[in-house]
Order: sequence, then structure tokens, then C-alpha cells
Amino acid sequence: MEHSRAAAVVVWAVVAAACGRATAAAPDFVADIRPLFERHCHACHSGEHAKSGLRLDLKAAAFHGGDGWGAAIVPGEPDSSPLVRAVQGKDDLQMPPADSAVPPLAEAEIARLVEWVKAGAVWPDGVDTVVVVDKTDHWAFQPVRRSPVPAVRAADWPRNDVDRFVLARLEAEGLAPSAAADRRVWIRRVFFDLTGLPPTPEEVERFVNDRSADPHGRIIEELLASPRYGERFAQHWLDVVRYADTHGYEVNTERPTAWPYRDYVIAAFNDDVPYDRFVREQIAGAEPGKEASTGFLVTAAVLLPGQIGQDEASKRAARQDALNDIIVNTSETVLGLTVGCARCHDHKFDPVTARDYYSLQAFFAGVGYGERTLATPAAVRMRKQFEAAQMRLAELEPLVGSGTPRAAVTPSLNTDRIAPVRAKRLRFTILDTNGGFEPCIDELQVFDVEGHNVALASAGAKASASGSLISAGVHELDHVNDGEYGNSRSWIASTRQGAWVTIEFDEPAMIERICWARDRTEEYKDRMPTAYRIEVSAAAGDDAPWTLVADATDREAFNAKPGDEAAAELSPAERQAREAAELEKKRLREELQAAIRGTRVFAGSFRKPHPVHLLTRGDAEQRGEELPPRSIAAFAGLVEPVALPADAPERERRAALAAWLTDPRHPLPARVMANRIWQWHFGTGLVDSANDFGRNGSRPTHPVLLDWLADEFVSSGWSIKHLHRLIVSSATYGQSGAANTAGLGADAESRLLWRFPPRRLEAETIRDTMLAVSGRLNPEMGGRGFSLFNSRGGLSGFLPIESFDASGRRRMIYAHKVRMELDDVFGAFDCPDAGQSQPRRRQSTTPIQALNLFNSPFTIEESREFAARVEADVAAISAANPPADSPGRRRIDRAFELAFSRPPDAVEAAAAEAVVREHGLAALCRVIFNSNEFLFIP
Amino acid sequence: MASLEHLTASGRHMLHRRGFLGDSASALGSIALSSLLASEGLLASTGSVGPAIDPAHPYAPRPPHFPGRAKNVLVIFCAGAVSQLETWDWKPELVKWDDKPMPGGPALTFQGPAGNLARPQYEFKPRGQTGKWVSELIPHLAELTDDIAFVHSLTSKTNTHGPAENFLSTGSIFDGFPSMGSWVTYALGSENQDLPAFVSILDPRGIPQASGNNWGPGFLPAEFQGTTLSAAKPVRHLRSASGVGPGTDRATRELLVLMNARHLEQHPEDGALAARIASYEMAARMQLSMPALNDLSNETAATLAAYGADDPSNPIKAAFARNCILARRLVERGVRFVQLFNGAYASGGALNWDGHTKLKEQYDVHAAILDQPTAALIKDLRQRGLLDETLVVWCTEFGRMPFFQKGAQGRDHNPDGFTCWMTGAGVKPGVSHGGTDELGMKAVENKLSLYDFNATILHLLGLDHTRLTFRHNGAERRLTDVHGRVIKEVLA
Repeated sequence: MEHSRAAAVVVWAVVAAACGRATAAAPDFVADIRPLFERHCHACHSGEHAKSGLRLDLKAAAFHGGDGWGAAIVPGEPDSSPLVRAVQGKDDLQMPPADSAVPPLAEAEIARLVEWVKAGAVWPDGVDTVVVVDKTDHWAFQPVRRSPVPAVRAADWPRNDVDRFVLARLEAEGLAPSAAADRRVWIRRVFFDLTGLPPTPEEVERFVNDRSADPHGRIIEELLASPRYGERFAQHWLDVVRYADTHGYEVNTERPTAWPYRDYVIAAFNDDVPYDRFVREQIAGAEPGKEASTGFLVTAAVLLPGQIGQDEASKRAARQDALNDIIVNTSETVLGLTVGCARCHDHKFDPVTARDYYSLQAFFAGVGYGERTLATPAAVRMRKQFEAAQMRLAELEPLVGSGTPRAAVTPSLNTDRIAPVRAKRLRFTILDTNGGFEPCIDELQVFDVEGHNVALASAGAKASASGSLISAGVHELDHVNDGEYGNSRSWIASTRQGAWVTIEFDEPAMIERICWARDRTEEYKDRMPTAYRIEVSAAAGDDAPWTLVADATDREAFNAKPGDEAAAELSPAERQAREAAELEKKRLREELQAAIRGTRVFAGSFRKPHPVHLLTRGDAEQRGEELPPRSIAAFAGLVEPVALPADAPERERRAALAAWLTDPRHPLPARVMANRIWQWHFGTGLVDSANDFGRNGSRPTHPVLLDWLADEFVSSGWSIKHLHRLIVSSATYGQSGAANTAGLGADAESRLLWRFPPRRLEAETIRDTMLAVSGRLNPEMGGRGFSLFNSRGGLSGFLPIESFDASGRRRMIYAHKVRMELDDVFGAFDCPDAGQSQPRRRQSTTPIQALNLFNSPFTIEESREFAARVEADVAAISAANPPADSPGRRRIDRAFELAFSRPPDAVEAAAAEAVVREHGLAALCRVIFNSNEFLFIP
Repeated sequence: MASLEHLTASGRHMLHRRGFLGDSASALGSIALSSLLASEGLLASTGSVGPAIDPAHPYAPRPPHFPGRAKNVLVIFCAGAVSQLETWDWKPELVKWDDKPMPGGPALTFQGPAGNLARPQYEFKPRGQTGKWVSELIPHLAELTDDIAFVHSLTSKTNTHGPAENFLSTGSIFDGFPSMGSWVTYALGSENQDLPAFVSILDPRGIPQASGNNWGPGFLPAEFQGTTLSAAKPVRHLRSASGVGPGTDRATRELLVLMNARHLEQHPEDGALAARIASYEMAARMQLSMPALNDLSNETAATLAAYGADDPSNPIKAAFARNCILARRLVERGVRFVQLFNGAYASGGALNWDGHTKLKEQYDVHAAILDQPTAALIKDLRQRGLLDETLVVWCTEFGRMPFFQKGAQGRDHNPDGFTCWMTGAGVKPGVSHGGTDELGMKAVENKLSLYDFNATILHLLGLDHTRLTFRHNGAERRLTDVHGRVIKEVLA
């Protein structure tokens, strides 16, 4: 691998360089030139922080040159060598600078330097006094190598090859694996692990008494086929990509169409979508109907246009922050490589330069944080419904100028029905708005007599305007007739009054209906045209006259109160008819809104990429050369590099990057994902820094096993479920979780897997399990999230909902996730806040957790429901099978079996019975929900 | 362990330490050993590795890196960006320039076009021994200037409130980084084991703009999250939800103790289980100690009057004053980090200090809420001798422009030169450090960043900001990122 300046860490070391003198003719580097560099240049131009990136203490770096100057030394050509020109004071640059403390070069010294360059600038290898360390010389950057399975002494213990690797390591450390876990423990473990829910008592009994050949295998297959599996593992993935249903930062507005991405991830895990395809779909996009996959690109918090300063510098800085989140997410998630540092300077530890960083940024230069239209069959259906509802709504509108007063303008939709007229052009002029800002129109539709929108750009229509306020990707003139609704695809005029937009149709058309709105998604109500004129012209060209066809003069005044004069003049019958029409309109509008929401997804908006520049210290105001899309240079020896021209189309960029990221020869993606899967099963990965496989990350505890798994992963067709089967069916996974002194003494964290490391349930799993045990878990999958608070986004305090209806008793992955606002009860259990990536859940223990779980209305309510369920179960069981012992004892047995997958022992039963007798069954249920046994995966 | 060579230096260190603790082979053993190590100061001198935290006692007091001047901190956080020009940074030159365009000033700032320069909206006069000029806006706080160390040359990295509050509280403009209170309690634990170690008192008007970022643990363990409460709203779930009697509560708790004890017998080596049991014990203690905390009935009438907690004419001020009394009580009880918010979320300056359009009108309201109660709090702390060990910090996310916004009577965001201050333990009294230009626009004299300010707070607590680190996603993260230097000029 090439030792470029950028791919090197420098370790200061003394090298005893004993070089002999060369012939007198050409100056010798060590004897004549280096002392000169040391005296006059090294003060600024050596070491890692050399000024303008030029260092003269390293051969490769010196020839490479500093920022923006190209090669500093051109052998044989002193006049073309910037270094020589600088010391000679040519090109307005004098080195060393006149005001520096460093002495200038004497004439003789300059002459010697010129002579040296002229003679070929011979700089022998191995004479530099600093030593370079190759940043790519790191285990994770080497190709994945599948080693033979090791031999083990306890040959009867392993159930598969995974066990042989683990056992070999244990034996090398003088440790022994633990005994197999009890079947009751194992089934509980595997249920929580694969589905995040406990087994029912019936499932436990069946498994415990299963005498078939492979009862474990049966359970594993059942669980992997269960839709609950995808819900469980999608949560792990969403942690890493910091998924949330709000935009974050101070305003924290709702992101109402983010959830299709969450559903996409659940479905992908359930369908065992090959991991390489999974990554490609999230970065490059998937076939129509699966557009939600690219939600991955825009999971981060982002500042909305109103939150960014109006000056250009603020906008550029915000764009850089937004892009940084995409780059960091992609790199940490897929590559386990932290590239964020390279935004400001070459990575200190890993082979990622600032140039690499901005070259990566170029792949995403056309990605915006925004919505797109879905093409799922359901969305297409909804779109049709929307258009039909719009049509019916229009029919309820009186004709312009018919004498019947028309409704006041609304932000969400306005229709002007006119007598059919032939038009080549239509001009919409805005005379006034409802506030101090320039008017905004999300879409201007013009329908012909056959009901076709002839204003669409896709129908050949062209838009022009008096002037536009541009916010790239959000507010643009093209958005006025692009067929997309909502503020995020809208046009804003550049003046508050008198602005116009003209649509020239492809062919003259008989038009009869104009529909326009500020924001059909009803998010925004400002910037609304309140007075306007609509004119048509039969021909193109400046000479063709305009005819007024509609304006606001026969509309009720905006903000007019109900029961105004016009309404007062109506007869009772007229009023009744009018009220009915209003009601029908209201219903249709609601239908419209529902339909529109179903057609949009927050999965990135894609546009023509803007140029990307190398930025000095990450400062958007210090732009260097323009960089085209290119993969990280240091991996060129392992993976076919990708480099695209600076004008490459948007989609092609992401597709190229995705292909590079999923190249089977790439040393990182398979290792990183295999490690994540391992971590999700055992609580800790073989590498415990799951997002950092770089030189500053941890080393694997079992490097050979990790490579074996990575290779197995790729050769199985990147099947995630294949790895699950291997791991979960292993003897390693099946061990008891009990500790022993030898194991703790040698390996307190159980990283070597001498036992199964027990761990606490995650926040979501605790809530889901309480509901499962109380019998109230609603298994409905997918769709818009249920609310945890009185508000789904926004500035003010979020009041927690304390008692949930059936939709709120779905699995917690379906909760509407407000960024930085943790659930009132379960948030304290290390639930990620979706601010930063959470590669691994922590397991803290806090008194707030105890207060929440002990006292919250949720616990008290579910304790009662749990008790009621137990009563019902016991009644049913007793009806079939009258009790031999006390019915009270049966209730306690049932509660324990439901919650712990085991009956109580005599002491527990006696203590529980006493409490139940005095305080009711719900008191016992509350104890159970708070007990350590309930909260840990055994 | 033979696997040491596979670990990074800090990983090796951590594993070594945990392996060592693990040798004692029981949860109790590790507890004893870790407190032994802690009391010997052995865990404090371990370079850039986090403190050793006993899972069963995460809030146990831990030694600082070096003897600190302050044991605990009270941060008075004024949300919305308080104008330096109407408070602490006296710019007489601005009076002369009133209503004139700023030569060479920016045409466009955060919210839009700039208008003319505007004189300070309040009169200033010299105060105390130092003769420091302070605004009439805050007469009670102005009386304290002899004890305060002002830093007038602070800068922020952003001019947007949310990211700027993040930056002030976490050292990062992004969402999701650990807050200062989390860092401090992670390092030092707390002196009180019956109350949370880090408490954030919310303004009666609502939560600040960066909300949970201001008290969030980020990637630090959740133990170190700030607990939010106010005099009006105590900690959530302090009592069991309705319909459960105290007798049932007690019986439930006792049965839980029994079941957890039996479970622990079967898993004798598990520290996490012991920690959970301990957390329920602490929760039970909190249930007892927290209601007393919020009960102000035993404060004297004189105290209530001094804070303005009895002011019937201004209920918001009275509510904020009660929060101030609550803050004193938390400090008194040894809570390590107390954050007291003044001002709520974005509201066109109506609920916080974001004076874009009607600055004077709104500041009259806000100052009336802030001034007397906060000044009374500081005086009360001093009178009770608490300032000997308590550092008091007054801060805001950025400052405001010397000119009005075009067509408005208020000032736009200005991250390039603003004022925060400190008083109390370890702070040099009566100092004004750094300065802005003569119009108060940019820091020109001893320009500093909030990294420096935060480094100084940690320093006063005996913490080296470069050594208080936590490894996350490949980096040893710090409150001060890779920046920050202690502002020596404000140290006593």
C-alpha cells in the first residue's frame, strides 16, 4: 500500500542515519540540503501540523507539496518548483516570511538548493529522521481471512464451529465453559433475544417436555419466522441510525412521514433481505414502492429553514452540518469507521483524509432532508383518492362570478371554477398575503374539461415567475408545478405584493378549474395569498392579451367570522343547503389530508448535486478545490475504487457508493455487521466498539472467529438469519448464565464466553413484556406511531400520556419517537434519545428507574390487568381441571409462570400468598414487574 | 489476562481495573475495594480514563483529579440569549451612535436585515467598591458586582438557539452529547445519597429550547442524567399512582425485597442485581426526602419576602423565587450539580430573553422575574456560608447585536462577544476579564470561547477538562472536545 502523506501517522523517533557524502558535484541531501531545511523551514513546515500542509521532514510529503501548491519540488526543474520559487521570493511569496524569527536563506544556500533540484532532487529513502507508520496497517483493514476451525480438547462440547473457536480460546486461557442452561432458562433467553417477548407458559411446557430430536432447532425456526423477530431486530438497527419521528433541535417539529422507514427496516429483517441489498436499498434506493428505504440518509436531527440564519454563511454552515450527519451515519453504520474527524483535519488514527471526507460528501451532494412521493400500491391508491376528493370538492364550489359568494381562501386548498375557456397560458398574480412575508404556493393545478392537470411539468407545461426566493430543494420555482404537495416542495415569490407565476401549457387547452394552496399538508398557514388575480391568454408571446377569469373579490373576506352578512341574507333553505355543503367539504378535506399523508415519506429529497469543495478546517467559508465523488483512497488496494466525474448524476452517485460499500472484498462491512449480530445476541460484540473498527477502536476478543463469521456471512448470501441460527444454536449460547469464581477471576466481563452473560431487558422490551404478561399487548404492526405525549413534536413541554388505548398498547417500536424526549416511564432505562448513534445499549441502574417502575400509573394499571388476566386464566384452567390444592395457590403459580416461565418455590409461594390475601393479586403482580428476575435476560 | 495485547491502552487499563475488582468475586467485595481505592485517591490519578463507578452506589462521592476549590455548582441558565448590552457590558460609545447605521456592519444577520445601531435601553451606573458599571435593568444583581468575576469576551460556535444551548451545556452544537452536570456527577458523584446528584430546576414558564440536551447524559450512563423538577412540579412518580394505599405499598416493597434477595442468592456474583436492589433503596429514600424538599412552609416570612416568593403581584416571579429557594435547599443538602433555568422556549421573546422585536418591553418583564430572586439566592448562599464550597455560574447561550433589526425595536443573535459570570468558591471577586469592541459587537480583548468557560468550571471543581473523558464511537469524548483552556484570570 502506498505511503501517502495523508495515510501516515508520524512517530517521532531518532534514526541514526549515517550516510556518506556523495560526489562534490551535486549537493548531498543529508549533508547539504536537510540542514538548510532544518534551519530555515522546519519551524513551520514539519510535523503533523505543518503550515499549509507542507512538511519538509518527510520525503513523500515534501514531494507531495502543501495545500493548493501542487508538488513542492519538481526534480530537475527548479523554476517549476514552488519551494525554490518561494525562497527566491517569486510569485509574491517570500519564504521564510520577512516578519518571522527564522533567518532567510543566504544566496549560497539558495544556489545550493537550486543545484540540488536541478541535479534531480535526490532524497534517498530511509534517511528521514521521522518514521512513518502506515495507518492502514491495522487488522480491520486487512482482507477477511477464513481460518480452519481449531482443534479443541473437550471435543464433545461443541455443537457447531462457532463453539470450537470459543472453546479453543477458553482452553488456551485455562477456562472451561459452563454447563448447559436449564431448558426453562434457554427458552426464556431465546424468546427475549430473538423476539423481545417472553414465552407463554404453554410454550415453555411444550419445550420442556419435547422429546423430539431437535427441540431447540424447532424453537429457533419458529421465532425467526415470527414477525415479532423483525420488530425486535429493527429496534437494534434504529438505535444505530438514531431514528426519530421529529426533526430535533429547538423546534423539534414532527416528522410525520418518517415511520415508513421504520416499517421498511422491520420488513427487511423479517424477510431476511440479504445485508448487501439492505445497505444498497438504504443508500441508493429501492424499486418503486420501497422508497422509504432511503429514510436511512435523513434519520438525523436537522435545522429547518426558519431555524437557520438568513445570511449565506449560516446557510452554508447548516448544509455542511446536515451533510456531515449523512456521511457519519453511513460510515459508522456500514463501515464501523469514524470519519467525522476528517471534516476538519486528516483523521489522527485512521486512513481517512479531509480530502476523502469531502470526496465522500460529493456522493451525497444532491441529498436533501425532505419528503418524496411514495409509489407503493397503497400510496398510488391514496393519490387517486386525493384527486377524486379534490374533484368532488371542486364540484361543491360555486362558479366564479355566479353571484353565489365563494368561501374565503384557506391555506390548505382553494378552487376557482370558471366557465371553460381556451388558454395557452395562465397567470396567477398575488396582490396581498396574510402576513408580513412573501407568498408561497405549494402547487398550482389547472384542469382541463376532461379533468387532466395541464399545468404539470410532466405534461409539458413550463413555469416562469416575477421572482423567487430560493431555498435549495425546498422552495424553488420548479416546485410550483411538479405534482408534489407541501411546504417542502413549494414556490415562494420574491416580493410580498404583485408577484406572479405564469404557466405556459404544452398545447392550448380548454380549462375550467384552477386549484392552488399554500400547503396542502396543512402544516403551514403563513405566507398565504389572500388577494389574487387569475388571467388567461389564448396564445404565447408578449403581445397576446390577458383576460381576467377569477379573483378574490367574490370570496368572503379572509378571517371573516362565521355568521357574517352574506350568510345572514340567505333563506333558511339556502342556509341549510350551504351548511350541508360545508359539512361535506369538511369531511372531504379530512379525507384529502389522510390521503396526502399516506403518499409521502421522509426519505430524502434528491436534486442536482451542488459542487463540493475541500474545506479548510471544516469551515464552509474557506473553500479549496472542487472534489468529485471518490471512495476512500486508502482502501484502493482491497476494493475496486470508485471515482465519478464532478458532474455525475445524483442517483448514480449513491448507487456507486453503495456498490463500493457492499463489495464482498471490502474488509469492513461484513465484519462490522457480523459483530453487530453477535453483540445483539450476547450483549457485547467480539469488538466492543461496534461503530469503531478503526485503529482507535477495540481489538476483537476472537479475531479468527470474527473473520470466520464474516466470511460465513458473505458466503451465505449475506443472510442475517443464517448467522442467527449459527449463534443461537451453539453450545456457547446455550450455557448457563451462572457465574463462577474461576471465570470471574480471569474474565469478569465474560468476554471470553465462559458463561452466557446475563443482561437487563431494554426499555422497549420491559414495556412490551409487561403488556404481553398482562395479556394486553396489541400485535398490530406498522403504520403511524402511537403517541407517548400530548404532543407529537414542537417546542413546549411534552405531557406524558399515562393510560393507553389499544393503539398505545402496541409494541414500543411503534411509538412516535420524539427526539431528545424520553418516555415518561421507560425512557430512564437507557432508552436512546436519537440524538447520537447508539451502537450499544447501556445498562444503568438508577433510582428514577425504580420510582417509575414502582409507582407509575402504567405499572399500577398493568398490574391490575395482569391480576385480572390471571384470574381469568385460572378460572378457565380450574373449570377444565378442578384444583387439588388451594385456588389461591393456583393464581400465584399462574402469575409466576406467565412472568418468570417457572412456578414459585414454597417460600416464595407462602410469602406471595400472604400479600395476595391481604392486598390483592395486583400487589403481587406489581412486585413481579419490579423484580430482578423479571428484568433480566437469564 | 493474556488478551491484553489486543486492547487499546485505555481498554487495557479498564479491563485491568475491572479484572482486579472481579477478583474479589463478590459484589460486596468490589464495593469495598472500589471505595478503598477511591479513598486512597488511586482511581483519581489514572490519566484520561473515567472514574471507577461502583454500580451499586453510582452517586457515592468520588475524588477529583486534584483538590478543587468548589465542591458543588449552581448554574443559573438564562435561556434565549440575554443582551450583554442591556446588562453587564457597558458601551457608552453606543449612546453616541444611537440610531446611526453601523459603519461596515453586516447587512444581514440571523433573522434578516440589520437596522441602525441602538443605545443601551437602560441607564448604567457604577456599583460597589469596583465601580463596575451595571445596568438599571437588574438593580439587585448589580449590588453583587464586587463578588463577581465577569467574562465579557465569550464566543459561541453558532447563532441558533437550540445548537447554542447544546454548545453551552454539552460542548457540542449537535443533539445528544452529555451535559455538564452529567460530566460532573459522573466524575464526582454526590454528597447526598438520598437525592439525585444532578437536578435541573425548570422555569415556571416552560422548558428551555434545547430541552433535554441541557441535562441529558448523552452517551454517559443514564445514572448521570439530570432529574428535572421545580417547586411547583416535584419528581415524577414519587408516590404510587392513585388507588394504592400506603399499607399495600409497604407490603409490596417488602415482598420485592424478599424475592430479589432469593434471586440474588441464586446469582451471588452479579453486581448488576445488587445495584438494582440498591437503586430501590435509594428510590425509597428519595420518596421520603423529596416531599420535604418542596415543602416551603418552614421558610421564614423574611426569607420568602427576600426572594420575592410571596409577591402576589407577579406570580411568575414568585414561582421562580420558589425555584430559587429550592435551589438553595439542594445546594444545602450537598447535591453536586444544580441547574436553575430562567426562561423557556422560543416564543418571540415573550417567555425568554430572545428580544428580537420589542426588547425593552420584554426585558422589563423578564428582569423583574430574574433579578430579585436570583440576587436573594446568592446572598442567602453566602450568608449561610455555602459560597465557600459552592460555585455559582450565570450564563446564557450567546449575546445580541449592537444594532436593532430593521423595522424592529430589538436585537438579533450575536455569538461573537457576550458575557457570562461566576461567583463563589474559588472565584476571584470583582474582576472583569476580556472585552468586546467599543460597540459591543465582537470580542476583541482576550477573546474566549465557551469551551474555556466550561474548562474553568471543571477546574474549580478539581477536574482537568482534558482528563475527564469517556470513550464513544472511537473518540475519547470531553466536555471541551479538543479545545478549552482554564481562564486563570478569574480564579482566586
